[in-house]
Parts: sequence; structure tokens; C-alpha cells
Amino acid sequence: MIGQRVLRVEDKRFLRGEGRYVADIALPFMREAYVLRSPQPHARIVSFDASAALALEGVDAVYTAADLPASLTPIPCRIPTHGDMTPFLQYPLARDVVRFVGEPIAVIVASSRALAEDAAELVAIEFEPLPVVADAKAALDPATPKMYPPGNIATQWGFDLGKVDDAFAQADIVVEKSFSIQRHSAMPLETRGLIASYDKARSYLEVWGPTKVPHTNRAMLARMLGMRDGDIRFAEPDVGGSFGARGEFYPEDIFIPYFAIKLGKPIRWIEDRQEHFASINHSRECTFQVKASATKDGRITAFDVVLVADLGAYIRTHGDVVPSHAAASFPGPYAIRNYRVAATAALSNKTPSGTLRAPGMFEANFAREQIVDMLAEKLGMDRAEIRRRNLIKPDEMPWYVGTQSVNRPTLFDSGDFPGLFEESVSRFGWSTPLPKGEGPVRRGRGIVALVEPSGFGPFESARIEIDPAGFATIFTGASNQGQGHETMLPQVAAEVLGIAHDRFRVRHGDTAMIPYGGGSYASRTAVMGANAVHRAALAVKAKALAAAAQMLQAKEDELALDDGKVIVAANPSRFVTLAHIARVLTPGNAELVPAPKDFIKDDHDGLTGEVFLRAIPSGTAVFSVHMADIALDTGTGELKVERYCVSGDVGRAINPMIVEGQLVGGVVQGIGGALLEELAYDEDGNLQTGSFADYLLPSSHEVPRIEALVVEKAKSISNDLGVKGCGEIGISGVAAVLANAIAHALGTGARPTKLPLTTERLLDLVEPGS
Amino acid sequence: MKPAPFDYEAPTTVADALKLLGSHEDARPIAGGQSLVPMLAFRLARPSLLVDLNRIPSLSGIEEKGGVLRIGAMTRQAKVLASDVVKRHAPLLVQALENVGHPPTRARGTIGGSCAHADPAAELPSAMIALDATMVIAGSGGERRVRADDFFIGAFETALQPGEILVALELSKQQGVSAFLEVSARKGDFGIVTVAARVAVKDGRCIDAALVLGGIAERSVRCAEAERILKEQGATPKAIDAVLAALPLDAVTMDSRSASAAHRRRLIPELCRRAIEAALASQVTP
Amino acid sequence: MTARNVSFTLNGKPATLAVEPRQTLADAVRQHLGLTGTHLGCEHGVCGACTVLLDGDAIRGCLMLAVQAEGLSITTIEGASPPEGLSVIQDAMQRHHALQCGFCSPGMVLALESLFAHTPCPGEDDIREAISGNLCRCTGYQPIVAAALSVAEKNRANLGAAAPSA
Repeated sequence: MIGQRVLRVEDKRFLRGEGRYVADIALPFMREAYVLRSPQPHARIVSFDASAALALEGVDAVYTAADLPASLTPIPCRIPTHGDMTPFLQYPLARDVVRFVGEPIAVIVASSRALAEDAAELVAIEFEPLPVVADAKAALDPATPKMYPPGNIATQWGFDLGKVDDAFAQADIVVEKSFSIQRHSAMPLETRGLIASYDKARSYLEVWGPTKVPHTNRAMLARMLGMRDGDIRFAEPDVGGSFGARGEFYPEDIFIPYFAIKLGKPIRWIEDRQEHFASINHSRECTFQVKASATKDGRITAFDVVLVADLGAYIRTHGDVVPSHAAASFPGPYAIRNYRVAATAALSNKTPSGTLRAPGMFEANFAREQIVDMLAEKLGMDRAEIRRRNLIKPDEMPWYVGTQSVNRPTLFDSGDFPGLFEESVSRFGWSTPLPKGEGPVRRGRGIVALVEPSGFGPFESARIEIDPAGFATIFTGASNQGQGHETMLPQVAAEVLGIAHDRFRVRHGDTAMIPYGGGSYASRTAVMGANAVHRAALAVKAKALAAAAQMLQAKEDELALDDGKVIVAANPSRFVTLAHIARVLTPGNAELVPAPKDFIKDDHDGLTGEVFLRAIPSGTAVFSVHMADIALDTGTGELKVERYCVSGDVGRAINPMIVEGQLVGGVVQGIGGALLEELAYDEDGNLQTGSFADYLLPSSHEVPRIEALVVEKAKSISNDLGVKGCGEIGISGVAAVLANAIAHALGTGARPTKLPLTTERLLDLVEPGS
Repeated sequence: MKPAPFDYEAPTTVADALKLLGSHEDARPIAGGQSLVPMLAFRLARPSLLVDLNRIPSLSGIEEKGGVLRIGAMTRQAKVLASDVVKRHAPLLVQALENVGHPPTRARGTIGGSCAHADPAAELPSAMIALDATMVIAGSGGERRVRADDFFIGAFETALQPGEILVALELSKQQGVSAFLEVSARKGDFGIVTVAARVAVKDGRCIDAALVLGGIAERSVRCAEAERILKEQGATPKAIDAVLAALPLDAVTMDSRSASAAHRRRLIPELCRRAIEAALASQVTP
Repeated sequence: MTARNVSFTLNGKPATLAVEPRQTLADAVRQHLGLTGTHLGCEHGVCGACTVLLDGDAIRGCLMLAVQAEGLSITTIEGASPPEGLSVIQDAMQRHHALQCGFCSPGMVLALESLFAHTPCPGEDDIREAISGNLCRCTGYQPIVAAALSVAEKNRANLGAAAPSA
């Protein structure tokens, strides 16, 4: 089962239009909410008058911060940060000051969404504009007025490893360059949404729509509202993509449930796309100043990096994790011991930011891999060769970079980087000549090497239940936004239990079904979720064998699992089915545990297995190589990606089809980030890209044929299955490899240092100074 | 993103449509809705009454009569794109439409709706100007005809007066070969710069030419001087160099985040050269 | 504005709905009929998640008002799916892993239905053009194209037709 290209069981409902996303759920007496958001980037709310809106027939309420509990705290940061972030946290609804366009001010509840929008137009708000901090550059300028009493810088930190200055002094060559990565976001095709319903008499709040980390967020809501964990259920419906942006603990996650309690009726809030642009976490906006040195035989001796990230107006639940990962992992897959980084997380009057698939890594790879090419160019060395000479070797594993991010050491547990590198280079045909450019078209080829973390902690859970009819259910603490867990997790259990994968159902993302869950992020479900399922299946197997031994009057080591049965290996005609065992192990069944005569006693707990699995905090490292051929039209700046190959050593592919899908899909999302997507602001803090007409996603025409090379060279040494996560390697190197290919095509030393790579920027590179 | 409330009528004759449009101050016609409905959703358009032109049979259809091709304003872009008679009669229109939107938007979007909307970056206005189309307008005083070059006035502004509707486009048989080229962020997007080129060569002489730029200003720009040079000097390599030197780069006023005016200006000569060469190399001879 | 009745053929059966003029067709089939396979991804006509068929042609369900459907024939994903199991296109999409989160999938299926209704044996360029107005954030389109090519291949074998020049 593991390793097979099993077709996905969830596809049928999606293809038939029977997926059930949050907007597809409706409850009796349900009302619809609209979130009234700030049109101002930075302003004091002078007055607020909703009387005309409340007079509209069908409008139930217009709630503001004053309707939330007075004791409500700002939304806490849920992971460790560099420094104290408490001054910069966001209240669920703005109190007296708004700090970005899109900040929630009020919630209008009405009989329909259209009516709520009509009412929103009748709310009169008077603002007193405050000075705007437009970007990180302004934030760093001491003359800029302060957004917060401590200033416009959330935190600064750094590392200084080895002897960086000595390395530069002794180096044969030094190169230097600055790079900037634009603000963009995950942009899942389904917007966010919630339905909250409260049974007051039984004190039970149910919320549909949470995903990614439902258990964590439920606990946060309980703490903030002073409720009990057991009084709240978060349930994940089908989810239309996440890519890192969904599942933060967003303001709506607090006030929609709270106002459903307050109103006494279910409330449904379905974000529209216009809201989404201003309210979903933005990501990626940062600059790198990089200096690197090498010896003349191509040994990279030091990196010196200044990283400035623009995190927007507030620190959200993810804190400074994005620049933190970038700073911690900048040296990438290379054996570099002299590394210095000075990192700054700046604040500005823009939407707060969080993670986007390969957070910090897409950005760092864009800078580092271009610097590596610059070193090669200066040395006159082949660009594959310089990488080859610097990759961390298998015998150097485990490799500690020497940095930390969110209190985790940056650790590569295992890997055969040179092995995959050589296989990738030869598969792509790195040395084969490029087709000649015709007319104004110039061709170029790029290569990048990178390493991604996967399978971060802290833990994951799984329970498997086999019912007396022989059907199995997997309950997982992981959540699913389209990755294929309903197929992949059963493959793992099926391998152990000898039951066909389609005899399983998977229940996920529901706090009522499993008491603790980690969730899905950081390419972790194949690592943590699947290993938890694997151990739960082993527990079920042990239980089944023990029961079968009694039932068959055999020794456990004589037994084997086969196609839903436990057989006596030497005589397969002697068997009991798992269904039979499940029946016998059902509490109350008297076959193995007769009823007591005089005193109660422990009973069976079913043919079940439950596992809580603790993770290695830093997870397991995945190595990947990206290569691409591009054609640049030097007359128009139009870029065509002609060939793309992405490889990844995933240790063990549970379902290679799904792994390839992650790689190819990731590459295309990366093409969007490299060439098209930008959340642009004007200098006054107004979001300029508020529709899909100006925030451009790649379409079927913009993408090349992509070859995904999935290998199983270096099994992870830190989990039973040997798997590594595959969700982020596809996107991680795209901007870097396209930039390197473009620079190669230009052949003039000019480099694309500023994303996205529009026709204008590319033509600027062709015609410097024009 | 739900539209503000409005009333709705679906007349079946042009006369009734005109009457309804005259009866409400903020009445607005809806054709294919591919631009108007998004504007309704963003509440950027807030008509009191929508007058739906989709039920008026006389507004749809493609008809060739006496050398003139008449395309009803409500004819779907997909129908025009797939029409053999249009391909024969006015290949430039088909070449332009290949750059317009996507199959689902062309299935519903109309040829007249796009012209009446007059987005400065849209492809069809440039094609209409380059084809010397005649725009047929109906109003309470009857029909009037306006040359395409006079019809498109500015950004989202045409010769249509309140209460009038565009009923048809009339095209004489296209003189010469043509090409439509553009640079856009993605295929199907509005162009950063678009070029409609048409060149009629007879006995080695250039007897007619049209070169129309789109996406660069409030409306499409006809390159009169460049056309004159083509007609005087013929479509020779030397003449093309002169044409490129005579392009109205000063007309570029569009300057946006997605493309600066300077970028648009430098794209224009390159695209014009390619468009003229593509037209001359074109196998499609009307 | 008061609701008005609109009658049309929906998935082969007559339907009458009371809708406000401002309600889009996509909103109406979702809210009044519970046909939630038509998804709203952007509500401004770019993403294609709301694709429905109008007389067999793929159109944007969010760019047509429900009142405009009077007398027309509309097919949603529910109508394009067989009573059980998967259609030929749906089956090919599953086999090629042409979906992940599934949010764009109903629109993709209908865009391809529309293509195959006109062009039984499309080439890769035809397929990419047919789905160019349907955004997918998960798959990178490649497996969707591969799925459609497999259907074209099957059709070609069945029809005995020559490969298209595209």
C-alpha cells in the first residue's frame, strides 16, 4: 500500500460537486454577517453611528469592540518570537485606532449577506487620519512618527557564527547584492468562512470552518472568552486550499463565535474575495543585503546578511516566524560555518503578515542562490560545479547550522544532497546545449539547490477503530485542505493491517472526534500524521493478534494479518476476521471477558488503537534541486518558461502520485510569486490590488511542462516510516531558479533582484538605463 | 460583494428598450454583463434599473449584404470568433478577439458590449478603428451612424448619449492583410500595449494602412503619420523604419503600477514592427 | 426590490425560483436550490469556480443574473454528473490526480464538458485555452491537461479521427 499510486478516495465527491465547504453549510435560523473594515490605513475613530443601518428591516445587530467582553485581550502570538511582541498585538475589533486598510471595525448581522452589505453603506464613521508608515524603509527612519509607543520596529535579532570577518579578509573573491521580495499571499481559491452556533442551555458552541490547527485555536478561543475547552467544538469542513495562510487565529475566529453566542442565533460569515485581499495574512515582503566570499577553487567561505522584513500593522499569531526561518536557514544546503545575519522585523500600516508555503525559504533561496551564481560567474566556474563543491556531505549529517528559529535548532537530520544533486543534473541534462535563441529571443538555464524543513513539532495524534462489520475509521489530529490525507493516511494503516485502503474512512480536523491534534502546517502530515497512524495501526494489530491467539488457540508469533483476517501462518484455513475480533473486543461482549459475578471490572475498549506522537522540534530536512530553461523576448520583456524540473528526496513516498502533485502544484504557485503576484500599496497605505484583475494568478497558459523527480535516497532517520514532507519544496526554489536562468540568458551580469519579474523589470534588465 | 438593489426589465424590441432607458434616470443597459456585473458586485455601478438587451432578437446576428458585414451588437464574441464569414471579411476582428478574455467570458460577452464599455485597454475598440467600422446607434430620434474613430472618446466614454444603445457594427470588406499583437501579463488579460495593424498592398504599392495602438491612453490611438508614411513609401523595410520613427509616443498617458508610461513607450515601436511584419507575412488575405 | 419569479430548465428539469434581480445565477442555485457544487471563488468573473453551462456552453455563473435565465437551459455540476460514479471527464481527472482541494474542480469539469461538446479531440493548446479562464491554485494545471488529453485520445480512438493539427 505504501508507495503505490492509489487514486484519491476524496476525488469523487469533489468532482461531482458534492464537496461540503463552509459556505455550503446552513443551519436553521442562521443569520449572515458582514465585517465592516477600515478604509483608512491609520486613523483614529472619532465617531461611529450605526443607527441608520440598524433601522433597515432585516438587520439584527451592528456589533463593535464595545460589544466584546471588556476583559478581552488582544490576540496572542502562539509561537516563540525574538523579543516581546505584546505591544503590537491586534484586538479582534478595532477599539479607537485602525492601523491598516481592512482592519475589522464592526460586524453587521442580517437576514442576508446582501442586506448586511446594504446596511454597511449606512454606517457613518468619522476618522481622524494619522501619519502613515508606508513600508519598512519608513519604519526604520527615526524621523517617521511612531505607530506604537515602542516604535515601528517589532524586533531585531541576529547570529554571528564562525569568523565572518576573517573569512572575508582571506577570501579570493567577494560578491555583494541586494534583493527584494514583494508582498503576496497564498490566495487559496476558497475564501475563509465560519459558521458558529451556540446551544445556550447546554453551553455548547460549535464552529464550522476552522482548519489547519483547530485544536490549538479552540484552546485559544476558550482562554480568550473564559470558556471551557469541552464547551467548544471546532469542526473542519472541506477546505479549498490553504498554502499556509489559513488557520491563523484570525479576528473573525473570535468575534463570529462570540456574536453568535450574543445574538442567540447561528451566524455565518463567508469572506468575499475583496475582503480576502485585505484580511488574509500577507507574506514574503522583505529585503536581503547579502555579501558572500569564496576561495578560488569554489569553496564558499562566508555569508553576511542583513534581512529586513515588513510584517505589516500588527503581529499576528505567527509572530516573526517568516523572517526568523529566513535568517536561521539562509546558508541552505551548503557547508558554511561563517555566517552572520542581522534581522529586523519592521511594522507598517499594511495588512499583518503570516506564513505562505515555504515561509522565509522562498525568499532566502531567491537571494542566496543568485549570490552563489554570482560567485560562480566571478570564478568562471560552472554553476552546478560550485554547488557540488559546497553541498553538505552525507557523512556530515546530522548537520547543525548553528542558528535557531522559534526556539528550534536549525538541524538537517539526514540527507544525501550530492546524490540527488547528481541525479537531478543528469536527468535534466544540465550540460546539454540550450536551443539557440531566434531573433530577439535569448535562452537561459538556471539551477538552484535548497533544503526545506518538514514535519515540525510538537506532536500529532491518531486513533483507529475497527467496527464489528470490519470497516475502519481513522481519526487524525491533522487537518486537510486538499492534500489528500483521506487517501494517504489509509494507505499507511492498510500496509500494517492488511485491509484495503478503501475500507477506511478518515475523520479529521474535528475537536469532538479526537481530544488533541497538532494540525497541518510545515509539510508535516506525512511525517507526523502518517507516523501517528502507523503506530496506531501497530497498536490495533497487536490487539488483534492477542485476541486472535486466544480465539484460535495459537501463539501470537504463529499469526499473520491477511486481507482483513488473522490467519495461522502455517495453516491459512484457520483464521478469524478482524470484524469478528472487533465484535469480540466490543465492550460487553462475553466471549473473552465473561460478565463478573460479584464485582465490576475493566472491559475491552474495542479493536482500537490510539497514539499521541511527540515530534522532534526541528523536523526532518528535505533536499531539492530546481532547474529551468527560459526564453526571454528581449524586445518585449516577455518570459516563457520552456522547461522545468524539480526534484526532491522525500525519504519515502507514501503515494508518489500525491507527492508529484505537491511538487508540480508548488512550482506553479511559485511561478505566480516570481512573475505575477503582488499585493501592492500606494505610498499612503492604500491597497492597490483588490481584485483578481490586478492580483494575477498563473493560468493554464503561463505554466510550462514540469517534470517532478521524486526519489527515496535518504530516509528520514527520525521517524518509523522514514518519510519527509513534500509540501513546500515545489514552491521554494522557483523565483531563484527563474532569476538565475534570466541572468544566464542576459549574459551581461545583470540580475533580476526585485520580484515580481514583470515584463517591465525584465526589459529594464535588457536595456539598462533605459 | 453583492450588488446594490436594482430593478430589472427585459424588453424584446429596441423601441421598448429605448423607452425603458428613457423612463429611469439611472437606467442602464446590460449586454453580456462581463464587465458590468463585476462593477455591480463591487458596487461601482449602481443603476436603478437594468434594461437587459439579451431578449432583443434583432440585436444579434452576422449578416453580409452588399459588401457590408453587419454584426448585431449583442452577437456573442465566441460567435464572431468562430464565424467563417467574419474570418473572410474582417480577419483583423478575429485576430483581436483571440486576445479577448477566455472561452466562458466570450460565450456570454458581446461584441457591442465591449465597444460600448470602452475600456481603454480593451482590444475591440482598436480593431474597430483599424477596420474603419461604422457604429450603428439607436436613440429615441431613430438610428445614427458614427465612425469608430469618432465613437471612442475616452476611458469608458463613447459617442453614445444617455438613452441610446449601440445596435450594430458595420464593416466594409477589410482592405489588406492584418495582425493584432499585444503584450499582456497573461494571455487573455487586457494589453499593456496592443497594436492592430492592417496593410493593403497592391501592385507593390501600399494603398491603405491602419495602425492603431491600445492600452496606452484614454482611448485607442490611430497612428496617422505612420499610416501616411506606409501609404507613401510602401511596406518596405526602409519605410517600416520611418514608420517606427513616426509613432505617436507622446500620446502615451497610461502610467500605472503594472506598467509605466516609459515601458509602454518602448514597447510600441517593437510591437508595431512585429505587427506590420506579421500582417505582411499573414496567410489570411481577405 | 421585491423578488420576482424566474422559470428555466435546470439540469434537464423545470425550475421556478423567486429571486431578487440583483441575485446572480450562481448565488440563486446555491441558496434557493442547495446546489452547492457551483462555487463562489471571486464573484467578479475571474476565477471560474462558478462555471455553469448555458445551452451547453461554459459561462460564469457569477456574471449572469438569475432573472436573466428565464426560459434558458442551465446545467450545473450536479446535472453534469451521472446519477452514480463519475463521468468520462471526471473519471479522467481522478485518474490523473487533476485536483487537490476540489474547489475549482466543478468549474474545470464543466469547462472541459463545454470544450468536448464542440471539439471531441482537442489538442493541448485547445485544452489550455478552454481552461484558461478557470483558476486552479493546487495542481499547476498539468494533470488537468493530461486528463483532458486522455479523454481526447479515447475519443479519437472511438471516432477513428485523425489527430488535430493543434
